[in-house]
Amino acid sequence: MNKHPNKIYASPILIFLGFAALIYINLQVSLDRVNFYVIGVLSVVAINIILTVSLNLINGITGQLSIGHAGFMAIGAYTTALFSIHLGTPIYFNLLVSGIAAGFVGFLIGLPTLRLRGDYLAIATLGFGEIIRVILQNLRFTGGAAGLGGIDWVDNFYLTQFMAIVVVIVVWRIGASAPGRAMVAIREDETAAETVGINTTKFKVMAFALGSFGAGIAGSLFAHRMTYIAPDGFTFMKSIEVLVMLVLGGLGSITGAIFSATLLTVLPEFLRFIDEWRMIIYPALLVTVMIFRSQGLFGTMELDFARVKSILKKVAPENLGPEKGKSNPPMQKIKALGFDSQEQKPILETKDLSISFGGLKAVKNLDMQITQGSLHGLIGPNGAGKTTVFNMLTGVHLPSSGEILFNGQRIDGNSPYSVAQAGIARTFQNIRLFKDLTVLDNVKVAFHLHADYGLGTAVARPPKFGAAERRITSEAKELLEIFKLGDHCMTIARNLPYGAQRRLEIVRALAVSPKLLLLDEPAAGMNVLETEKLMELIHWVRDEFDLTIFLIEHDMSLVMKLCQTISVLDYGMKIFEGTPEQVRKDPRVIEAYLGEEVS
Amino acid sequence: MQPVFGFALFAVFVALIVVLARNKKRFPANPISSFFFGFIIVLLAIGAANYFMVAISANRLYFWQQTIYGVSLGSVYALIALGYTMVYGIVRLINFAHGEIYMIGAYAGFFGVTSLGFPFYFALIFAMLTAALAGVIVERIAYKPLRKAPRLAVLITAIGMSLLLQNVGQKIFGSIPRSFPRQFTGLYRIGEINLDQSRVIVFAVTFLLMVALQYFVTFTKPGKAMRAVSQDRDAAQMVGVNVDRTISLTFFVGSLLAGAAGILVAIVFPQIRPTMGLMPGLKAFVAAVIGGIGIIPGAVLGGLIIGVSENLVTAYISSSWRDAIAFGLLILILLVKPSGILGRNTREKV
Repeated sequence: MNKHPNKIYASPILIFLGFAALIYINLQVSLDRVNFYVIGVLSVVAINIILTVSLNLINGITGQLSIGHAGFMAIGAYTTALFSIHLGTPIYFNLLVSGIAAGFVGFLIGLPTLRLRGDYLAIATLGFGEIIRVILQNLRFTGGAAGLGGIDWVDNFYLTQFMAIVVVIVVWRIGASAPGRAMVAIREDETAAETVGINTTKFKVMAFALGSFGAGIAGSLFAHRMTYIAPDGFTFMKSIEVLVMLVLGGLGSITGAIFSATLLTVLPEFLRFIDEWRMIIYPALLVTVMIFRSQGLFGTMELDFARVKSILKKVAPENLGPEKGKSNPPMQKIKALGFDSQEQKPILETKDLSISFGGLKAVKNLDMQITQGSLHGLIGPNGAGKTTVFNMLTGVHLPSSGEILFNGQRIDGNSPYSVAQAGIARTFQNIRLFKDLTVLDNVKVAFHLHADYGLGTAVARPPKFGAAERRITSEAKELLEIFKLGDHCMTIARNLPYGAQRRLEIVRALAVSPKLLLLDEPAAGMNVLETEKLMELIHWVRDEFDLTIFLIEHDMSLVMKLCQTISVLDYGMKIFEGTPEQVRKDPRVIEAYLGEEVS
Repeated sequence: MQPVFGFALFAVFVALIVVLARNKKRFPANPISSFFFGFIIVLLAIGAANYFMVAISANRLYFWQQTIYGVSLGSVYALIALGYTMVYGIVRLINFAHGEIYMIGAYAGFFGVTSLGFPFYFALIFAMLTAALAGVIVERIAYKPLRKAPRLAVLITAIGMSLLLQNVGQKIFGSIPRSFPRQFTGLYRIGEINLDQSRVIVFAVTFLLMVALQYFVTFTKPGKAMRAVSQDRDAAQMVGVNVDRTISLTFFVGSLLAGAAGILVAIVFPQIRPTMGLMPGLKAFVAAVIGGIGIIPGAVLGGLIIGVSENLVTAYISSSWRDAIAFGLLILILLVKPSGILGRNTREKV
């Protein structure tokens, strides 16, 4: 088994020692040998782990910068407080209700705000966090600034610990599943994620609501432990505290989140003697870590339990992989998904397609038909609007007017992900891989549409899950094998040589099992030999996968040799269409490329 | 009883409709969010209509008084927001520590006036320079080493720097608020409206500084370099702009303004404390985003909007809701026009 570059293959002894320590602490607590104060600290550790790991789902895994986590914790805490005070409901009930309340608010807030990206999203979440606090401060039934007291005190040390473990396992399992890969893909490159058929809004909102659910649970446990809560406990500073724990451990690493949540909760207890300096040391530490190790202590590294598992099951890790020879070759599968080719029927058609940016009409009244099963080229001078056409076809840009028909269905106005799901996949002019994922994961992300299981299965992991995952992995590997990338499965995509990156992008597009493949300058930056090979490859792909291919290219020799039909675009208008021979001779094309003929 | 808030709500409502009507993109994206937005709009409409009716029978004088106070508070937000917007424009960083620079300005002004016995305008310059120095030091220590780091790392560093300065401030200045000696006690009367001299001075100084800034950025060579770097760092470097120095200069100028804001606030609200930078800092950033981040007139516009609406909320509803209005406005603007009021929609190049 190749080593995954983002895994820490910890020694089993260390992991067993860790578990032993956990058992030892619990034993001591159950024997009443630990004083109340220490139990309190340990509970806070567990609560902070819940907060940090759930924030990791939003910030680390999905890459949506949220800095209002304390607001959701507050919702959980207040829900619990109100239920406990007024109805005297038990903690298990409160836990669930608080999680749901926070998750629901997260869903409501996430729906509109997650359209925003990066810094803007951060500021919006900050705003919501603050608004939640101000509202709590002003409502009478939440006790205003004084807060609520008299919540049932529950000795919830074990429960808190149990919940922390549950949250960690849930987030861990989500991370290592198809929905999790979709989330990671969003973090890596949102546009590229959409073009492989990932409904980015859905997964972002999902991550946000689930993360908020976790924060709600933490709030509930917190309320039952403290018996008294006030809005002051859920300020911007609390959100930052959680963020610091996450970032110190490494954004995207659950291992790191657990480690640093523990460290940053316990460490200050030992620093009591310099208590007054604590609030200076804390931020100074943060700044120092960022300057010298900006990816955090663990980066996106995760512990891997494969070795532990292998000892437990007395099975060598090699045998945990897919069973050979059982899965269908991907080609056949993908072929099966496509429909019977009918000659001369246009698979894609544009009618009077136009788009303008500000005053500039980038594409004007484009009428075009692409025949089923053909190799169609799109050429034109720089700035002619070729990539813009691709962007409109894939839903990245919304046309100003006109229609796009794919298999007779209108697809203009559809989001990129639904266009991809309909069967149009693409590559990009400036390669857009998920650069920090492994080659294999890049392809597995694109197999997302073949994963016939949802979030529930990802968490519960019935046998169906294992089967689906093994199938995805083996199909992805086979596809990579075909494109001679099999040896690079565990390479981080950014470290691949240029040509291999281009190939990987094609593999990723094929994994979507498209009926129409759009290639945006596939030969850009390649030398003559590489272009030659690429040409054979494209031909072979078309036949083997029963595709229609539409490509933009600057390399004339490639287009001329490869394509049956060529459309020529100049200043956003189609000036000619025909066979390579006709294109070569057409005066308008020559003029567009070489300027007006000198006569 | 709450006339103007009603008017503001109404204005927001109209603006929302206009923007929605103009927006031809796929928005709202799906049935659920269209329901969500529809709901908000109906709610706003009802609220606005209600308030607007009440407004007719209200005390006009009080309204104008509060609006003018709002403008003077808003001009201070604008001063801080300018620093945010300039820094964001040039390094794409939300400089969370900017609020603390403002705090440092207030303290420098305080010690200038008390311990050093400076006259006010001298203390103002002293505060500005001290804050500017602090701003440049922060940039050199914390941000410069991270110029090539992922943006998130820099953002977290900025949050860390903000906390650090706050807590160092608590250590040095003590956490007990200090009282800034009263500088201006005069009162102007225009018609029936009373104007504190201090608020007039705040507005006048702010206005002067903004004019100066506009001149600096538009006509001077370093100002042009700044604009060049904010558009394309590499290209600016290639035509001979010293990028590092320009970035430092941006921090210098931004902090200069924040320092001025610090001392100006102190003459109206004389309580100064080490944590005073947090909220105004956040709100000023919100102001910058509302106006369109990276755009200088946008920061001023945003600052004024927030200042006025905050003051009106305090006057007509309750001061305890004051902190919510800025963030509420922010979210509204972000949802409707993420690039801010004066911002231009930029597409991601694909």
